[in-house]
Amino acid sequence: MLGDAARSRLREIVGAPHFLDSLEDRISYSYDATLYEALPDAIVYPGSVEEVAAVVRLANEERFAVTPRGAGTGLSGGSIPIAGGLVMVLTRLNRIVAISTDDLYAVVEPGVITADLAAAVARRGLLYPPDPASQTVSTIGGNVAENAGGLRGLKYGVTRHYILGLEVVTPKGEILHTGSATVKCVTGYDLTQLMVGSEGTLGVVTRIWCKLVPMPEHKESMLAIFDHMDDAARTVAAIIRSGVIPATLEFLDRVTINAVEDFKKIGLPRQAEAILLIETDGQRSAAQAEADKVVAICRENHAGSVQKAADETERAQLWLARRSALSSLARVRPTTILEDATVPRSRVPDMVRGVREIAERHRILIGNFGHAGDGNLHPTVLTDIRDKEEYARAEKAIEEIFDLALSLGGTLSGEHGIGMAKAPFLKRETGAVGIKTMRSIKRALDPNNILNPGKMMLDEA
Amino acid sequence: MADSSFVLRPSSFNEIYRCMKCGNCREVCPVFLETGHEAMVARGRVQLLKAVLEDRLDLSDGLRDRVYACLNCNACYVACPCGIEVDQLILASRIAMVRAGKPLPDSQRVLRERIVGEQNPYGQKQSERGAWLPEKYRKPRPSPVVFHAGCAISYANNRVGKMAIAILESASADFMMMGDEEQCCGDPILRMGDVDSAEAQRRRNIEEYRKYGVETIVTACAGCLKMFKSYYTEQAGLQPSPFSTRDSELRTQDSAPSAQDFRVIHTLEWFAELIGQGRLKPQKPLAKRVAYFDGCDIGRHSGVYEAPRQVLRSIPGVELIEFPAHHETSRCCGGPLMASDPEMAASIASKRIREVLDASAEMIAVACPTCMVNLRDGANRLGAKMEIQDVTALLYRVLK
Repeated sequence: MLGDAARSRLREIVGAPHFLDSLEDRISYSYDATLYEALPDAIVYPGSVEEVAAVVRLANEERFAVTPRGAGTGLSGGSIPIAGGLVMVLTRLNRIVAISTDDLYAVVEPGVITADLAAAVARRGLLYPPDPASQTVSTIGGNVAENAGGLRGLKYGVTRHYILGLEVVTPKGEILHTGSATVKCVTGYDLTQLMVGSEGTLGVVTRIWCKLVPMPEHKESMLAIFDHMDDAARTVAAIIRSGVIPATLEFLDRVTINAVEDFKKIGLPRQAEAILLIETDGQRSAAQAEADKVVAICRENHAGSVQKAADETERAQLWLARRSALSSLARVRPTTILEDATVPRSRVPDMVRGVREIAERHRILIGNFGHAGDGNLHPTVLTDIRDKEEYARAEKAIEEIFDLALSLGGTLSGEHGIGMAKAPFLKRETGAVGIKTMRSIKRALDPNNILNPGKMMLDEA
Repeated sequence: MADSSFVLRPSSFNEIYRCMKCGNCREVCPVFLETGHEAMVARGRVQLLKAVLEDRLDLSDGLRDRVYACLNCNACYVACPCGIEVDQLILASRIAMVRAGKPLPDSQRVLRERIVGEQNPYGQKQSERGAWLPEKYRKPRPSPVVFHAGCAISYANNRVGKMAIAILESASADFMMMGDEEQCCGDPILRMGDVDSAEAQRRRNIEEYRKYGVETIVTACAGCLKMFKSYYTEQAGLQPSPFSTRDSELRTQDSAPSAQDFRVIHTLEWFAELIGQGRLKPQKPLAKRVAYFDGCDIGRHSGVYEAPRQVLRSIPGVELIEFPAHHETSRCCGGPLMASDPEMAASIASKRIREVLDASAEMIAVACPTCMVNLRDGANRLGAKMEIQDVTALLYRVLK
């Protein structure tokens, strides 16, 4: 519990308008985009790295927890303040400090909204590739903490591939600089990559050097509809085998297709077992040649129809199904749980079939869609948290989905992170040695267990 | 439930639980974009209401202040993947607070006293309401069409009202007005949660219109349009009317009879019809680059997007451009906060102005008296050279 002395000190550090502790405000910062909730004692909005460091130092003196937060749209519970204490919102640090078109990097503060960064660099002919679905509201700082992914993951990689260096306030309140703005850098341990994806447990990121790439000249978009799941799965494998790495290779299953039809009435065939949305990009001739190859492969694998967009308007139409997938599913039942279990690409057909079988056995409705190209599917459980019996079945189904992914050589989370949601299952994937190694790093950097305690199973001895 | 007087529709519970907390509303909420505070966005307010339902929060002053700080623009509803009817939740929670006897925020209390006392939010005399009108419109008469001027035109600035009348007369359009007997549609009082007083206005107005054989209600006020369409009838814009006769919890026990047989249109819709029929001929050119601003009440809430554009396109020389967000994704001007938080209202307005300054607009055309006043404040604040005119005024200019 935050004492009065600590509250006064915090008001001094960040300024009274940036310190909140009413019950209404505490409730407003008790959640993220998962079903978890926990009340913090107070919330601060620091305006500088010095203020962040001062708050963290105070936290060590007074022994209260600090949970960093961006937009609070995370999908694993990373920003839930389960130990109470302080929520530290980084959104006041929201400047794009610099964009270098010569050296292809941008320097940003953690509160910059990812889509705003992408738009700013796009105006200079550059691309910041990681495009998580939340990009118009989520922050770069949050993306770094969770190693956010996105639809471009297959060809371009994820957030961690685009972070050159960081300024971080350590859990002891010291200011650490990692990495370099150079293309290559190997000096000491790779602390940048330790921080990326550490879910706010090893440091508070206060400045980020992002790598940029040239904006591809041209883009081709295609939509292929399949009567049979196996044909779609074979298509995915065949595309990669042919030497084409599409910029996007997305998939929707039948439950999702029908949810989209119910809501958007696009005219998708309800009996179709799979839809693939594929994009190629690059130099015009290359993108077009790759697109032609993709279309041919779809047809060879019995796609019922393949449409290629002729212009931006048609592109938007083709994308409508994929863009509406989550919103359509979210309207089916009161509670929507978005999962993230990922498998090697070659095991996607087994994963899809396995999830369907789990859904049937537990009598739970699950829509499956996602990044078929990189194996990162999003089985989406549709239920009602107020129906205790059904919700218990849903939780069981989710646990089996984790086990299924692991049994297929996959991972619990492709891009959402472990946080609280998957912490109990982490050991199944990393093993005891993995957990022990992570805990020793956490203890070394955060001896007082101040920063985002209780996450990722890092707490137990 | 902590407070048994906190009554929401049964379907409101479902709305609250359907919130995925994805935070998409944060992208579009004008008040959130000003403050950066989670309690000032749909997600925050929905979660606060959930806390009340789950006994974690009372109907506190803090809750009340946050719920009343909402613009009711409903941009969040459009952005929400789950389609949460946020505007209805906000209204329902205000109604619940009023019914629980919670004192209104100060700025709303004065407004309520005025409307209940004098049937208009300006606190001016009912007997002076029709003073701006030519004699023939000061008293109602039987007619299938009533032109409802609304309180803003009657008391604050009747310029657009006079022009609308002149335009309609030039097209030999026939209508009557309630004149000295016209009363507030009840929108401001419904917005603050006093559904019982709003219901009294609705009942009284419908009885009067029926008395005179009215079939069509035409109004030049976007707020009245929204009220007539979503509360008096069920012709609302984007979402089902929040006050349909199904939802008895939000109505008083003995509601006025259904008014489904009224046709409700904005004057701009009538002008567009008349232009189409050749009865209005915009002839004088107006060589300007004009951005049409989709106000929330006429747009999202009432579903009227094309008629104002048709009118503008019919004016020779006008080059019509769009705001970056337009039609149902249009962003609020901030006007509803003018009384309670003028600083924020002006700040939001200046953001709207900047959006079309970048696109070299020379003029912003609006269809709402609130948008007009607030966008002008925003332009002044920026020191921007940007003319803001009502579409009606532009049409008037090119007809004479």
